[in-house]
Amino acid sequence: MSEKQEDMSLDKRLALVSFNKDPEPFIVVDTNLCQQCEKKPCLYICPAQVYTWQDQLNYNTEGCMETGACLIVCHKIGAKAISWKYPSGGKGVSFRLG
Amino acid sequence: MSLEGFEVAVVGAGPAGSAAALTLAREGVQVLLVERGTFPGSKNVFGGRIYSYALKRLLGERWKDAPVERFVRKEGITFMTADSSFSVEYESKDPTGSFTSIRSKFDKWLAEEAEKAGASLITDSRVDDLVLERGIVKGIIAGPDKIPTDVVIACDGTTTNLARKAGLASMLEPREVSIGMKDVIELPADKMEERLGLEPEEGAAHVFVGECSGGLRGGGFLYTNKDSLALGMVVGADDISTKKVPSHTLMDRLRNHRKVRRLIRGGKTIEYDAHMIPEAGPKMLTRPYTGGMLVAGDAAGHLLNNGYTFRGVDMAIVSGIAAAQTILEARKRKDYSAQSLQTYARRLREEPALKDMYTFSKVPRYLRNNRLYNVYPELVCNAAEAIYRVDGNRKRKIYKELRTQTKGKVSTISLIRDLLAGARTF
Repeated sequence: MSEKQEDMSLDKRLALVSFNKDPEPFIVVDTNLCQQCEKKPCLYICPAQVYTWQDQLNYNTEGCMETGACLIVCHKIGAKAISWKYPSGGKGVSFRLG
Repeated sequence: MSLEGFEVAVVGAGPAGSAAALTLAREGVQVLLVERGTFPGSKNVFGGRIYSYALKRLLGERWKDAPVERFVRKEGITFMTADSSFSVEYESKDPTGSFTSIRSKFDKWLAEEAEKAGASLITDSRVDDLVLERGIVKGIIAGPDKIPTDVVIACDGTTTNLARKAGLASMLEPREVSIGMKDVIELPADKMEERLGLEPEEGAAHVFVGECSGGLRGGGFLYTNKDSLALGMVVGADDISTKKVPSHTLMDRLRNHRKVRRLIRGGKTIEYDAHMIPEAGPKMLTRPYTGGMLVAGDAAGHLLNNGYTFRGVDMAIVSGIAAAQTILEARKRKDYSAQSLQTYARRLREEPALKDMYTFSKVPRYLRNNRLYNVYPELVCNAAEAIYRVDGNRKRKIYKELRTQTKGKVSTISLIRDLLAGARTF
Protein backbone atom coordinates (compact mmCIF):
# COMPACT_ATOMS: atom_id res chain seq x y z
CA MET A 1 0.00 0.00 0.00
CA SER A 2 1.39 3.38 -0.90
CA GLU A 3 -0.72 5.69 1.19
CA LYS A 4 1.00 8.95 1.94
CA GLN A 5 2.06 9.85 5.42
CA GLU A 6 0.67 13.27 6.22
CA ASP A 7 3.27 15.78 7.24
CA MET A 8 1.94 18.04 9.98
CA SER A 9 3.29 21.25 11.48
CA LEU A 10 1.87 23.62 14.04
CA ASP A 11 1.10 26.20 11.35
CA LYS A 12 -0.85 23.61 9.39
CA ARG A 13 -2.70 22.63 12.54
CA LEU A 14 -3.62 26.17 13.47
CA ALA A 15 -4.90 26.80 9.97
CA LEU A 16 -7.54 24.14 10.69
CA VAL A 17 -9.01 25.98 13.67
CA SER A 18 -11.63 28.73 13.38
CA PHE A 19 -10.96 31.97 15.20
CA ASN A 20 -13.13 35.04 15.51
CA LYS A 21 -10.75 37.79 16.53
CA ASP A 22 -11.61 39.71 19.67
CA PRO A 23 -10.79 43.40 19.18
CA GLU A 24 -10.33 43.68 22.95
CA PRO A 25 -6.89 42.55 24.16
CA PHE A 26 -7.75 39.56 26.36
CA ILE A 27 -4.11 38.66 26.91
CA VAL A 28 -1.78 41.40 28.07
CA VAL A 29 1.85 40.71 28.95
CA ASP A 30 4.18 43.01 30.81
CA THR A 31 7.07 42.00 28.57
CA ASN A 32 9.61 43.95 30.65
CA LEU A 33 9.15 41.36 33.37
CA CYS A 34 9.91 38.62 30.83
CA GLN A 35 13.45 39.93 30.34
CA GLN A 36 14.25 38.76 33.85
CA CYS A 37 12.28 35.51 33.53
CA GLU A 38 14.62 32.55 33.82
CA LYS A 39 12.39 29.68 32.83
CA LYS A 40 10.00 31.24 30.31
CA PRO A 41 7.42 28.44 30.70
CA CYS A 42 4.90 30.13 28.39
CA LEU A 43 7.13 29.29 25.40
CA TYR A 44 6.60 25.57 26.04
CA ILE A 45 3.18 25.15 27.59
CA CYS A 46 1.08 26.81 24.91
CA PRO A 47 -0.19 24.24 22.39
CA ALA A 48 -0.70 27.04 19.87
CA GLN A 49 2.65 28.73 20.51
CA VAL A 50 1.04 32.07 21.16
CA TYR A 51 4.30 33.09 22.88
CA THR A 52 7.64 33.26 21.09
CA TRP A 53 11.01 34.76 21.95
CA GLN A 54 13.20 36.94 19.81
CA ASP A 55 15.26 39.25 22.01
CA GLN A 56 11.99 39.87 23.82
CA LEU A 57 8.69 38.14 24.41
CA ASN A 58 6.29 38.35 21.48
CA TYR A 59 2.72 37.13 21.60
CA ASN A 60 -0.03 36.77 19.08
CA THR A 61 -3.45 36.30 20.65
CA GLU A 62 -5.07 35.32 17.37
CA GLY A 63 -4.10 31.64 17.64
CA CYS A 64 -5.08 31.38 21.32
CA MET A 65 -6.99 28.18 22.05
CA GLU A 66 -8.04 29.46 25.48
CA THR A 67 -6.62 26.68 27.63
CA GLY A 68 -5.58 29.21 30.28
CA ALA A 69 -2.48 27.17 31.10
CA CYS A 70 -0.09 30.05 30.30
CA LEU A 71 -1.50 32.10 33.15
CA ILE A 72 -0.84 29.33 35.67
CA VAL A 73 2.72 28.52 34.60
CA CYS A 74 3.64 32.19 34.22
CA HIS A 75 2.48 32.99 37.73
CA LYS A 76 3.83 29.86 39.42
CA ILE A 77 7.02 29.22 37.45
CA GLY A 78 7.59 32.36 35.40
CA ALA A 79 7.72 36.10 36.02
CA LYS A 80 4.01 36.77 36.73
CA ALA A 81 3.86 38.86 33.57
CA ILE A 82 0.73 37.52 31.90
CA SER A 83 -2.77 38.84 32.50
CA TRP A 84 -5.27 36.60 30.83
CA LYS A 85 -9.02 36.29 30.60
CA TYR A 86 -11.33 34.65 28.13
CA PRO A 87 -12.13 36.62 24.98
CA SER A 88 -15.45 38.47 24.95
CA GLY A 89 -18.60 36.42 24.45
CA GLY A 90 -18.76 34.82 21.02
CA LYS A 91 -15.16 35.76 20.19
CA GLY A 92 -12.01 33.67 20.08
CA VAL A 93 -11.61 30.05 19.15
CA SER A 94 -14.48 27.85 18.01
CA PHE A 95 -14.04 24.08 17.95
CA ARG A 96 -16.15 22.04 15.52
CA LEU A 97 -14.77 18.62 16.46
CA GLY A 98 -13.64 18.98 20.08
CA MET B 1 -34.90 38.26 26.33
CA SER B 2 -35.50 39.97 29.65
CA LEU B 3 -32.85 38.99 32.12
CA GLU B 4 -35.08 39.60 35.13
CA GLY B 5 -36.96 37.05 37.15
CA PHE B 6 -34.56 34.11 37.05
CA GLU B 7 -34.18 32.13 40.24
CA VAL B 8 -31.00 30.37 39.17
CA ALA B 9 -28.16 31.36 36.84
CA VAL B 10 -26.04 28.49 35.55
CA VAL B 11 -22.73 29.66 34.11
CA GLY B 12 -21.37 27.45 31.36
CA ALA B 13 -23.47 25.24 29.07
CA GLY B 14 -21.17 22.22 29.22
CA PRO B 15 -22.38 18.86 30.56
CA ALA B 16 -22.43 20.00 34.22
CA GLY B 17 -24.30 23.22 33.45
CA SER B 18 -26.84 21.70 31.08
CA ALA B 19 -27.51 18.76 33.44
CA ALA B 20 -28.09 21.18 36.32
CA ALA B 21 -30.28 23.50 34.23
CA LEU B 22 -32.32 20.58 32.91
CA THR B 23 -32.88 19.08 36.36
CA LEU B 24 -34.02 22.44 37.74
CA ALA B 25 -36.18 23.44 34.77
CA ARG B 26 -37.99 20.13 34.91
CA GLU B 27 -39.15 21.07 38.42
CA GLY B 28 -40.47 24.40 37.21
CA VAL B 29 -37.53 26.53 38.38
CA GLN B 30 -36.78 29.62 36.28
CA VAL B 31 -33.24 28.93 35.04
CA LEU B 32 -30.91 31.00 32.92
CA LEU B 33 -28.08 29.05 31.27
CA VAL B 34 -25.25 31.30 30.12
CA GLU B 35 -22.62 30.25 27.56
CA ARG B 36 -19.64 32.29 26.33
CA GLY B 37 -19.26 30.42 23.04
CA THR B 38 -21.44 31.03 20.00
CA PHE B 39 -23.09 27.70 20.79
CA PRO B 40 -22.71 25.15 23.61
CA GLY B 41 -19.72 22.94 22.92
CA SER B 42 -17.89 25.40 20.71
CA LYS B 43 -15.28 26.02 23.43
CA ASN B 44 -15.07 22.47 24.67
CA VAL B 45 -12.59 19.72 23.95
CA PHE B 46 -12.17 16.24 25.41
CA GLY B 47 -10.46 13.01 24.48
CA GLY B 48 -13.51 11.44 23.14
CA ARG B 49 -15.59 9.21 25.39
CA ILE B 50 -18.71 9.51 27.54
CA TYR B 51 -19.88 6.87 30.03
CA SER B 52 -23.56 6.22 29.38
CA TYR B 53 -24.81 5.68 32.94
CA ALA B 54 -24.77 9.39 33.74
CA LEU B 55 -26.94 10.24 30.76
CA LYS B 56 -29.37 7.45 31.63
CA ARG B 57 -29.65 8.92 35.09
CA LEU B 58 -30.38 12.35 33.68
CA LEU B 59 -32.71 11.44 30.83
CA GLY B 60 -33.96 7.88 31.32
CA GLU B 61 -34.60 6.09 28.02
CA ARG B 62 -34.18 9.32 26.08
CA TRP B 63 -30.41 9.06 26.59
CA LYS B 64 -30.47 7.11 23.35
CA ASP B 65 -31.12 10.33 21.42
CA ALA B 66 -27.58 11.46 22.28
CA PRO B 67 -25.28 12.17 19.30
CA VAL B 68 -23.19 9.00 19.53
CA GLU B 69 -20.24 8.48 17.21
CA ARG B 70 -19.43 4.88 18.19
CA PHE B 71 -20.05 2.66 21.20
CA VAL B 72 -16.73 1.47 22.60
CA ARG B 73 -16.18 -2.26 22.19
CA LYS B 74 -12.40 -2.35 22.55
CA GLU B 75 -10.19 -0.97 25.29
CA GLY B 76 -6.45 -1.02 24.90
CA ILE B 77 -3.14 0.20 26.20
CA THR B 78 0.25 0.31 24.51
CA PHE B 79 3.61 0.72 26.25
CA MET B 80 6.10 2.05 23.76
CA THR B 81 9.78 2.70 23.22
CA ALA B 82 11.11 4.50 20.15
CA ASP B 83 11.09 1.33 18.06
CA SER B 84 8.98 -1.26 19.86
CA SER B 85 5.63 -1.53 21.57
CA PHE B 86 3.73 -3.83 23.90
CA SER B 87 -0.07 -3.74 23.69
CA VAL B 88 -2.90 -5.22 25.70
CA GLU B 89 -6.42 -5.18 24.38
CA TYR B 90 -9.74 -6.02 25.94
CA GLU B 91 -12.89 -6.67 23.95
CA SER B 92 -16.03 -6.09 26.01
CA LYS B 93 -19.15 -8.22 25.72
CA ASP B 94 -21.29 -5.09 26.03
CA PRO B 95 -20.23 -1.92 24.26
CA THR B 96 -23.19 0.24 25.37
CA GLY B 97 -21.43 1.35 28.58
CA SER B 98 -19.62 4.17 26.84
CA PHE B 99 -19.53 5.96 23.53
CA THR B 100 -17.37 8.39 21.64
CA SER B 101 -18.81 11.75 20.75
CA ILE B 102 -17.98 15.24 19.51
CA ARG B 103 -18.55 18.09 21.92
CA SER B 104 -19.93 20.57 19.41
CA LYS B 105 -22.72 18.04 18.84
CA PHE B 106 -23.09 16.54 22.30
CA ASP B 107 -23.02 19.73 24.39
CA LYS B 108 -25.32 21.45 21.91
CA TRP B 109 -27.79 18.59 22.11
CA LEU B 110 -27.73 18.46 25.91
CA ALA B 111 -28.28 22.23 26.18
CA GLU B 112 -31.22 21.87 23.79
CA GLU B 113 -32.65 19.21 26.11
CA ALA B 114 -32.36 21.72 28.96
CA GLU B 115 -34.12 24.31 26.83
CA LYS B 116 -36.90 21.86 26.01
CA ALA B 117 -37.38 21.34 29.74
CA GLY B 118 -37.85 25.11 30.10
CA ALA B 119 -34.38 26.55 30.73
CA SER B 120 -33.44 29.79 28.93
CA LEU B 121 -30.12 29.67 27.12
CA ILE B 122 -28.10 32.72 26.16
CA THR B 123 -24.91 32.30 24.16
CA ASP B 124 -22.07 34.68 23.18
CA SER B 125 -22.07 35.88 26.75
CA ARG B 126 -19.02 35.94 29.02
CA VAL B 127 -19.75 36.15 32.73
CA ASP B 128 -17.17 38.51 34.18
CA ASP B 129 -18.14 38.72 37.79
CA LEU B 130 -20.53 37.86 40.58
CA VAL B 131 -22.99 40.17 42.24
CA LEU B 132 -21.85 39.96 45.84
CA GLU B 133 -23.70 41.37 48.83
CA ARG B 134 -21.90 40.99 52.14
CA GLY B 135 -20.07 37.98 50.78
CA ILE B 136 -23.24 36.29 49.54
CA VAL B 137 -23.63 35.66 45.80
CA LYS B 138 -26.73 37.39 44.49
CA GLY B 139 -26.34 37.10 40.76
CA ILE B 140 -23.93 37.44 37.85
CA ILE B 141 -22.47 40.21 35.75
CA ALA B 142 -22.18 39.48 32.04
CA GLY B 143 -20.81 42.38 30.00
CA PRO B 144 -23.11 45.34 30.64
CA ASP B 145 -25.81 43.17 32.22
CA LYS B 146 -26.21 42.73 35.94
CA ILE B 147 -28.44 39.70 36.36
CA PRO B 148 -29.89 39.22 39.85
CA THR B 149 -30.72 35.64 40.87
CA ASP B 150 -31.35 33.72 44.11
CA VAL B 151 -28.48 31.36 43.48
CA VAL B 152 -25.70 30.69 40.93
CA ILE B 153 -24.18 27.40 39.75
CA ALA B 154 -20.66 27.92 38.44
CA CYS B 155 -19.85 25.37 35.73
CA ASP B 156 -17.24 27.56 34.13
CA GLY B 157 -14.52 24.98 33.60
CA THR B 158 -10.97 24.45 34.82
CA THR B 159 -10.04 28.12 34.96
CA THR B 160 -13.16 28.76 37.09
CA ASN B 161 -13.00 32.47 37.39
CA LEU B 162 -16.20 32.45 39.46
CA ALA B 163 -14.96 30.10 42.21
CA ARG B 164 -11.95 32.38 42.53
CA LYS B 165 -14.12 35.51 42.66
CA ALA B 166 -16.09 33.84 45.44
CA GLY B 167 -12.91 33.04 47.35
CA LEU B 168 -13.27 29.25 47.01
CA ALA B 169 -10.10 28.72 44.99
CA SER B 170 -6.70 30.20 44.51
CA MET B 171 -4.72 29.76 41.34
CA LEU B 172 -3.96 26.10 40.59
CA GLU B 173 -0.39 24.84 40.70
CA PRO B 174 1.22 23.67 37.42
CA ARG B 175 1.44 20.11 38.79
CA GLU B 176 -2.33 20.17 39.32
CA VAL B 177 -3.15 20.66 35.65
CA SER B 178 -2.38 18.95 32.38
CA ILE B 179 -2.48 20.25 28.88
CA GLY B 180 -4.44 18.16 26.38
CA MET B 181 -4.11 18.37 22.60
CA LYS B 182 -5.63 16.36 19.82
CA ASP B 183 -5.68 15.98 16.08
CA VAL B 184 -8.94 14.87 14.52
CA ILE B 185 -7.96 12.74 11.54
CA GLU B 186 -10.49 11.89 8.88
CA LEU B 187 -10.41 8.22 7.87
CA PRO B 188 -13.04 6.18 5.98
CA ALA B 189 -15.08 4.01 8.36
CA ASP B 190 -14.28 0.71 6.67
CA LYS B 191 -10.57 1.43 6.73
CA MET B 192 -10.69 2.35 10.40
CA GLU B 193 -12.66 -0.77 11.30
CA GLU B 194 -10.26 -2.95 9.38
CA ARG B 195 -7.18 -1.47 11.02
CA LEU B 196 -8.55 -1.66 14.53
CA GLY B 197 -10.34 -4.96 14.08
CA LEU B 198 -13.81 -3.57 14.71
CA GLU B 199 -17.27 -4.56 13.56
CA PRO B 200 -19.08 -1.85 11.58
CA GLU B 201 -20.14 1.08 13.78
CA GLU B 202 -18.28 -0.22 16.81
CA GLY B 203 -15.52 1.76 18.42
CA ALA B 204 -12.23 1.56 20.26
CA ALA B 205 -10.43 3.52 22.96
CA HIS B 206 -6.68 3.22 23.35
CA VAL B 207 -4.02 4.68 25.63
CA PHE B 208 -0.30 5.08 24.86
CA VAL B 209 2.42 5.32 27.50
CA GLY B 210 6.16 5.82 27.12
CA GLU B 211 8.03 7.19 24.13
CA CYS B 212 5.17 9.43 22.97
CA SER B 213 5.51 11.73 26.00
CA GLY B 214 9.30 11.72 25.86
CA GLY B 215 9.48 10.66 29.51
CA LEU B 216 7.19 13.45 30.67
CA ARG B 217 4.22 12.74 32.92
CA GLY B 218 1.42 11.96 30.51
CA GLY B 219 0.43 9.82 27.60
CA GLY B 220 -1.46 9.51 24.36
CA PHE B 221 -5.00 8.54 23.52
CA LEU B 222 -6.96 7.37 20.52
CA TYR B 223 -10.73 7.29 20.11
CA THR B 224 -12.74 6.31 17.08
CA ASN B 225 -15.43 8.62 15.78
CA LYS B 226 -17.73 7.61 12.91
CA ASP B 227 -15.26 8.48 10.20
CA SER B 228 -12.42 10.13 12.03
CA LEU B 229 -9.87 9.31 14.70
CA ALA B 230 -9.34 11.53 17.74
CA LEU B 231 -5.63 11.18 18.46
CA GLY B 232 -4.10 13.21 21.25
CA MET B 233 -1.68 13.75 24.09
CA VAL B 234 -2.19 14.81 27.70
CA VAL B 235 0.91 16.04 29.56
CA GLY B 236 1.59 17.59 32.96
CA ALA B 237 1.97 21.37 32.83
CA ASP B 238 4.84 21.32 35.31
CA ASP B 239 6.84 18.77 33.31
CA ILE B 240 6.31 20.62 30.03
CA SER B 241 7.42 23.89 31.55
CA THR B 242 10.44 22.77 33.52
CA LYS B 243 11.76 20.32 30.93
CA LYS B 244 11.19 22.85 28.16
CA VAL B 245 9.46 20.61 25.67
CA PRO B 246 7.08 22.58 23.41
CA SER B 247 3.76 20.84 24.05
CA HIS B 248 2.65 20.55 20.43
CA THR B 249 5.82 18.67 19.44
CA LEU B 250 4.52 15.70 21.46
CA MET B 251 1.72 15.31 18.93
CA ASP B 252 4.30 14.58 16.27
CA ARG B 253 6.14 12.19 18.55
CA LEU B 254 2.93 10.22 18.92
CA ARG B 255 1.98 10.35 15.25
CA ASN B 256 5.41 9.24 14.11
CA HIS B 257 5.57 6.13 16.26
CA ARG B 258 5.30 3.05 14.03
CA LYS B 259 2.32 1.73 15.99
CA VAL B 260 0.36 4.94 15.46
CA ARG B 261 1.68 5.75 12.00
CA ARG B 262 0.07 2.62 10.60
CA LEU B 263 -3.31 3.52 12.10
CA ILE B 264 -3.49 7.02 10.70
CA ARG B 265 -1.82 6.39 7.33
CA GLY B 266 -3.75 7.99 4.48
CA GLY B 267 -5.85 9.98 6.95
CA LYS B 268 -6.39 13.71 6.68
CA THR B 269 -6.14 15.94 9.73
CA ILE B 270 -9.21 18.15 9.82
CA GLU B 271 -8.93 19.89 13.20
CA TYR B 272 -6.49 20.58 16.01
CA ASP B 273 -7.92 21.13 19.49
CA ALA B 274 -6.51 21.87 22.93
CA HIS B 275 -7.76 22.19 26.48
CA MET B 276 -6.55 22.35 30.07
CA ILE B 277 -7.43 19.50 32.42
CA PRO B 278 -7.58 19.79 36.21
CA GLU B 279 -5.83 16.84 37.89
CA ALA B 280 -6.13 17.83 41.54
CA GLY B 281 -9.61 16.39 42.09
CA PRO B 282 -12.23 17.97 44.35
CA LYS B 283 -9.57 19.47 46.60
CA MET B 284 -8.90 22.15 44.01
CA LEU B 285 -11.59 24.11 45.86
CA THR B 286 -11.62 24.77 49.60
CA ARG B 287 -15.29 23.77 49.32
CA PRO B 288 -17.68 23.51 46.35
CA TYR B 289 -20.27 25.93 47.74
CA THR B 290 -20.63 29.32 49.37
CA GLY B 291 -23.59 31.51 50.24
CA GLY B 292 -25.64 31.78 47.03
CA MET B 293 -23.38 29.62 44.84
CA LEU B 294 -22.46 26.03 44.02
CA VAL B 295 -19.63 24.84 41.77
CA ALA B 296 -19.84 21.73 39.53
CA GLY B 297 -17.95 19.91 36.78
CA ASP B 298 -14.33 20.69 35.86
CA ALA B 299 -14.62 23.92 37.84
CA ALA B 300 -14.92 21.84 41.02
CA GLY B 301 -12.39 19.21 39.95
CA HIS B 302 -15.16 16.70 39.35
CA LEU B 303 -13.31 14.41 37.03
CA LEU B 304 -11.13 11.38 37.35
CA ASN B 305 -8.03 10.15 35.60
CA ASN B 306 -6.95 6.97 37.35
CA GLY B 307 -4.42 6.05 34.69
CA TYR B 308 -6.62 3.67 32.73
CA THR B 309 -10.03 5.38 32.59
CA PHE B 310 -10.51 9.07 31.92
CA ARG B 311 -13.79 10.43 33.17
CA GLY B 312 -14.99 13.97 32.87
CA VAL B 313 -18.35 14.26 31.17
CA ASP B 314 -20.10 11.62 33.31
CA MET B 315 -18.73 13.17 36.51
CA ALA B 316 -19.80 16.61 35.31
CA ILE B 317 -23.36 15.43 34.59
CA VAL B 318 -23.69 13.70 37.95
CA SER B 319 -22.31 16.69 39.85
CA GLY B 320 -24.62 19.01 37.88
CA ILE B 321 -27.58 16.87 38.95
CA ALA B 322 -26.35 16.92 42.57
CA ALA B 323 -26.05 20.71 42.48
CA ALA B 324 -29.59 21.02 41.10
CA GLN B 325 -30.99 18.67 43.74
CA THR B 326 -29.28 20.66 46.47
CA ILE B 327 -30.92 23.80 45.14
CA LEU B 328 -34.35 22.17 44.90
CA GLU B 329 -34.10 21.31 48.60
CA ALA B 330 -32.82 24.73 49.58
CA ARG B 331 -35.61 26.30 47.54
CA LYS B 332 -38.22 24.60 49.72
CA ARG B 333 -36.55 26.21 52.72
CA LYS B 334 -36.15 29.50 50.78
CA ASP B 335 -32.63 29.52 52.18
CA TYR B 336 -29.56 29.75 49.96
CA SER B 337 -27.06 30.54 52.69
CA ALA B 338 -23.81 28.60 52.83
CA GLN B 339 -25.22 26.63 55.73
CA SER B 340 -28.27 25.60 53.73
CA LEU B 341 -26.19 24.67 50.67
CA GLN B 342 -23.62 22.63 52.56
CA THR B 343 -25.70 19.49 51.95
CA TYR B 344 -24.11 19.63 48.48
CA ALA B 345 -20.77 18.49 49.93
CA ARG B 346 -22.51 15.51 51.52
CA ARG B 347 -24.32 14.64 48.31
CA LEU B 348 -21.05 14.65 46.41
CA ARG B 349 -19.47 12.30 48.93
CA GLU B 350 -22.42 9.94 49.01
CA GLU B 351 -23.16 9.83 45.29
CA PRO B 352 -21.70 6.46 44.20
CA ALA B 353 -20.35 7.70 40.86
CA LEU B 354 -18.59 10.67 42.45
CA LYS B 355 -17.34 8.57 45.34
CA ASP B 356 -14.83 7.17 42.85
CA MET B 357 -13.03 10.50 43.06
CA TYR B 358 -12.41 9.91 46.75
CA THR B 359 -11.67 6.19 46.33
CA PHE B 360 -8.96 7.08 43.82
CA SER B 361 -7.90 10.28 45.54
CA LYS B 362 -4.28 9.12 45.90
CA VAL B 363 -3.95 8.39 42.19
CA PRO B 364 -2.80 11.87 41.06
CA ARG B 365 0.13 11.66 43.45
CA TYR B 366 1.00 8.15 42.31
CA LEU B 367 0.87 9.23 38.68
CA ARG B 368 3.41 11.94 39.39
CA ASN B 369 6.07 9.23 39.66
CA ASN B 370 8.03 9.75 36.45
CA ARG B 371 9.29 6.15 36.41
CA LEU B 372 5.84 5.31 35.07
CA TYR B 373 6.66 7.23 31.91
CA ASN B 374 10.40 6.97 31.45
CA VAL B 375 11.37 3.61 32.96
CA TYR B 376 8.56 1.09 33.07
CA PRO B 377 7.28 1.27 29.47
CA GLU B 378 10.78 0.52 28.24
CA LEU B 379 11.14 -2.24 30.79
CA VAL B 380 7.95 -3.90 29.59
CA CYS B 381 9.02 -3.70 25.96
CA ASN B 382 12.55 -4.93 26.60
CA ALA B 383 11.28 -7.84 28.64
CA ALA B 384 8.86 -8.81 25.87
CA GLU B 385 11.66 -8.58 23.34
CA ALA B 386 13.84 -10.88 25.43
CA ILE B 387 11.03 -13.33 26.06
CA TYR B 388 9.90 -13.62 22.46
CA ARG B 389 13.26 -13.49 20.71
CA VAL B 390 14.89 -16.77 19.79
CA ASP B 391 18.31 -16.20 18.28
CA GLY B 392 20.24 -19.30 19.18
CA ASN B 393 21.78 -17.74 22.25
CA ARG B 394 20.98 -19.31 25.59
CA LYS B 395 17.49 -18.32 26.83
CA ARG B 396 16.84 -17.50 30.43
CA LYS B 397 13.67 -18.22 32.37
CA ILE B 398 11.17 -15.36 32.29
CA TYR B 399 11.69 -14.42 35.93
CA LYS B 400 15.46 -14.17 35.44
CA GLU B 401 14.97 -12.18 32.29
CA LEU B 402 12.78 -9.67 34.10
CA ARG B 403 15.37 -9.33 36.86
CA THR B 404 18.09 -8.69 34.28
CA GLN B 405 16.01 -6.04 32.54
CA THR B 406 15.52 -4.01 35.72
CA LYS B 407 19.26 -3.84 36.44
CA GLY B 408 20.62 -0.34 36.26
CA LYS B 409 17.18 1.10 35.42
CA VAL B 410 15.39 0.92 38.71
CA SER B 411 16.48 -0.29 42.13
CA THR B 412 14.72 -3.29 43.60
CA ILE B 413 13.51 -1.15 46.47
CA SER B 414 11.96 1.46 44.16
CA LEU B 415 10.36 -1.26 42.09
CA ILE B 416 8.80 -2.96 45.09
CA ARG B 417 7.71 0.37 46.53
CA ASP B 418 6.05 1.37 43.25
CA LEU B 419 4.30 -1.99 42.99
CA LEU B 420 3.01 -1.90 46.55
CA ALA B 421 1.92 1.73 46.28
CA GLY B 422 0.21 0.86 43.01
CA ALA B 423 -1.67 -1.99 44.63
CA ARG B 424 -2.84 0.33 47.39
CA THR B 425 -3.68 3.23 45.08
CA PHE B 426 -5.74 1.56 42.39
